[in-house]
Amino acid sequence: MTMPAPPPPVTSVTRQLSRRSVFEALLHRSPISRADLAKVTGLSKQTMSEVVDAFGQQGLVRQVGRTSGNVGRTAVLYELSPEGGHVLGIDLGARRLTVALADIAGRVLAEADEPTDSRGGAWALDQIARLSDRLARDNHTHPSRIRSIVLATPGVVNPKSGAIEMAPNITGLGHLNVVGLLGEKLGSPVVIENDINLALLGEIWHGCAQNVANVAFLALGSGIGLGLFTNGQLVRGENGAAGEIGYLPIGGDPLQAASRLQGCLEYQVGATGVLRRYREAGGSEVESVMQVFERAQVGDPIAAQVIEETARLIGLAAAAVIAMVDPQLIVLGGSVGARPDFADQVARVLLQLSPRPVEIRTSTLGRRAGVVGALSVALSRLHDAFFGVAELAAALPLPPPAHRSARQ
Amino acid sequence: MTREAAYCFAADLGGTKLAAAMADARGRIVAELTEPTDQRGAAHVAEQIAACADKLAQAVGIEVTQARHVMVGLPGAIDPRTGRVSLTPNIAGLEDFDILGFLRGRFGPDVAIENDVNLSMLGEHALGCASRCRNAAFLALGTGVGLGLLIDDKLFRGACGSAGEIADLPIGRDPTTQMLSASGTFELEVGSLAIVNRYRRQGGTAAATVRDIFRLLEQGDEVAASVLDTTARWVALAVVSLQSLLDLELVVFGGSIGVRPELYERVRRTLPALFSRPIAIAPSRLGDRAGLIGAAWAAAQTLRQNLEPA
Repeated sequence: MTMPAPPPPVTSVTRQLSRRSVFEALLHRSPISRADLAKVTGLSKQTMSEVVDAFGQQGLVRQVGRTSGNVGRTAVLYELSPEGGHVLGIDLGARRLTVALADIAGRVLAEADEPTDSRGGAWALDQIARLSDRLARDNHTHPSRIRSIVLATPGVVNPKSGAIEMAPNITGLGHLNVVGLLGEKLGSPVVIENDINLALLGEIWHGCAQNVANVAFLALGSGIGLGLFTNGQLVRGENGAAGEIGYLPIGGDPLQAASRLQGCLEYQVGATGVLRRYREAGGSEVESVMQVFERAQVGDPIAAQVIEETARLIGLAAAAVIAMVDPQLIVLGGSVGARPDFADQVARVLLQLSPRPVEIRTSTLGRRAGVVGALSVALSRLHDAFFGVAELAAALPLPPPAHRSARQ
Repeated sequence: MTREAAYCFAADLGGTKLAAAMADARGRIVAELTEPTDQRGAAHVAEQIAACADKLAQAVGIEVTQARHVMVGLPGAIDPRTGRVSLTPNIAGLEDFDILGFLRGRFGPDVAIENDVNLSMLGEHALGCASRCRNAAFLALGTGVGLGLLIDDKLFRGACGSAGEIADLPIGRDPTTQMLSASGTFELEVGSLAIVNRYRRQGGTAAATVRDIFRLLEQGDEVAASVLDTTARWVALAVVSLQSLLDLELVVFGGSIGVRPELYERVRRTLPALFSRPIAIAPSRLGDRAGLIGAAWAAAQTLRQNLEPA
C-alpha cells in the first residue's frame, strides 16, 4: 500500500510569493507607502504589513520619510535598506582590474580600478582580494555583508568544469581553481562569467541596450569577442565557447598556423594584428592602436588604410553575425570598437554588405560595461537566493538605472 | 475532442515538390504523399496544400476537420511577430500572399507556418540524429542553402525570423569587392548552380546537374573531384563560422547535396586543419523526410497542449 502524498506546502509557497512581490515592489517603486505597496502587490493590508515588519526585522527595509500629500494623514515611506546585503562585481582584464560594490537595491556605492598585476595567476587573485577589501572598508561595509560576487574574465568559462580556458592574455589563470581560491579569500561564493557576456549584460541593464530582446555585443580592443543575448538569455553554447568570433575564417588564410591558434579574424583585427599590418604596410613606429588612429587623423594614409581595412573586416564579421543570429541591435564595444568614428566606418561597410540593415550603437558604458554587468548578475543571484521561488523560473527583474539616479 | 479522434496535418513545401502527411496526436505519420509543386505561383500552391489535406483525410478515413492542428513548412524566413514570409525566391508570389490567412480560412485558427529547414532541425531533434542534442544545426545544401538552429533545446529564430540565413554568410568571394546580389555570398559558392558552373569553369563538359557531377566522380573524373574538394572547403569554412559563433554539439547535413557522403566526408576531413576544437558533423538520418517529420512532430506537440486542460 502506498502512503498518501503529503499535502502541498501551500502556505509556504504563498508566503514566499508574498515576500517576493513586496520585495519586487520595493525594488522598483521605492520610496513607497504601505498603502501603495498593498495596492501594487494586490496583497491584503494585513499580509503586506506582516511582510514589511518581517523585512524590517531582517534589516531589509528602512523608513525614508513621509508622503507630503495635502489631503488626509501623511504616510510613512519605505525603501530597501543598504544593510540588506551587498554584492561585488569584478572585472579582471589583461591590463585593468575594476571592482564595484552595490547594495541589494542595485545602487552602486563605490568603484575602483588599478592596473592588473602583470604577474597574473595568484598575484592577480591577491590583488582582487586587496582591492575588494579596501572598497568595502572605505564604505563601512563589513566583508561578511557581501553575499554575492561575480568575476568577469576574458576567455571561456567552461560551464561543466568551471575552469577558465582560452585566456591567453592573463598568465597563470588556467591552472588555478579561481572559484575556490577567490571564494576563500573573499569569504563568499564567486561566480565567473566571460567578460564580453557581462559587458553585454551591463549594456542591457544600464547602457545602450535597455529593453532590447535580441542583442549582439561585438567588442574590439586588444582582442575581439562577441556576446549574444536572445529572448532574455545569454547564448553560451555547448561548452561555453559561443561568441568566439575571433575564429571566424575571415580576413586571412584560415589554414595558416596563426589562424588556427589565435583565430583567423583576431590575427588580423586584434591589437597586435593592427600594429603588424601597419608596420608591414610601411607605417612608422607606433606602440598602440590608439596611436594608429591618431596618425590617421593627422593625415597618415597608411594608418587610414589600415583602419579602413579593420573596419571592413569587422563589417564582414558583423554581417556573419546578422546572417546567423539575426539580432535587433549590434553594440560595438571595446577600446577600438566603441570609437564613434570607427563605428561609423563599420556601419558604412555593413550598409553595403547586408541585405538586412541592423541598428548599430556604440557602448555607452565603455570600460565600465564588464563590471556593471558583473554587478547585475551578482544582484540577480542575491535576489534569487533571498526570494527565488522554485515554481517561478523567471528571475526578478532588476531595477532600472532611473531608479538609481533618482536617489543619488 | 479526444486524443484518439484528433489528428494533425503537416506539409513541407519546396520549390519543386510538396510533401504532406496526416499524423496522429503523438506525431506519428499515418499517411503521406508527395506531389510536384504547382508552378503557377503562391495562390495555386496554397490550394494544392489544402487539396492534399483532403486526399490524406480520405485515405485515412477521417473528416479533414479532425486535423486539429496544421503545420506548414515554407522555404523562407518567417517573421514571428507578423507572420510575414520573405526570402522565398523559389515560389513565385509567396512573399505577397497571405498564406497563413489562407490556411486559417480553410482549417481554422490552429495553423502555424515555419521555415522548412527549422522543421528539418526539429525532425532530427525529435526522431533523427540530433535527438540527444541541446545545441545543434541542420545545414541544408541543395538548390539553395539553409540552416536551422537549435539553441538550448529550442528553435532559434532571431529577432525577425531570419536567424540561420546562411546563404548570406560572408564566406566566399569577398562580398565587399563585388556588387550585391539577390542570393548571398555563401550560396554563390555552394548552391547547385555554383557547383555546376565551377565544373564548367574548370573545363568539365559532361555535367548539367550536380547529380551528373556525383556520377562522374564515381567514374573517376578528376574535375568532378576537384570541384567537390573546393565546394567542401567552402562548406567547411561555413561550419567553422557557425561553430565559432554558436559552439554547437552537432551539425546535421541535409538536402540533396548535403546528404551525399562524397561531400560531407570531404568536409569532415577538411575541418581539423581549420579549427582547433573537434566539430561533429553527421548526415541527416531522416533524409528528405526530415522537414515533414519535424512538421508533424511540432504540430502534434501543439495539438496535445491544446487538448490538455491548462
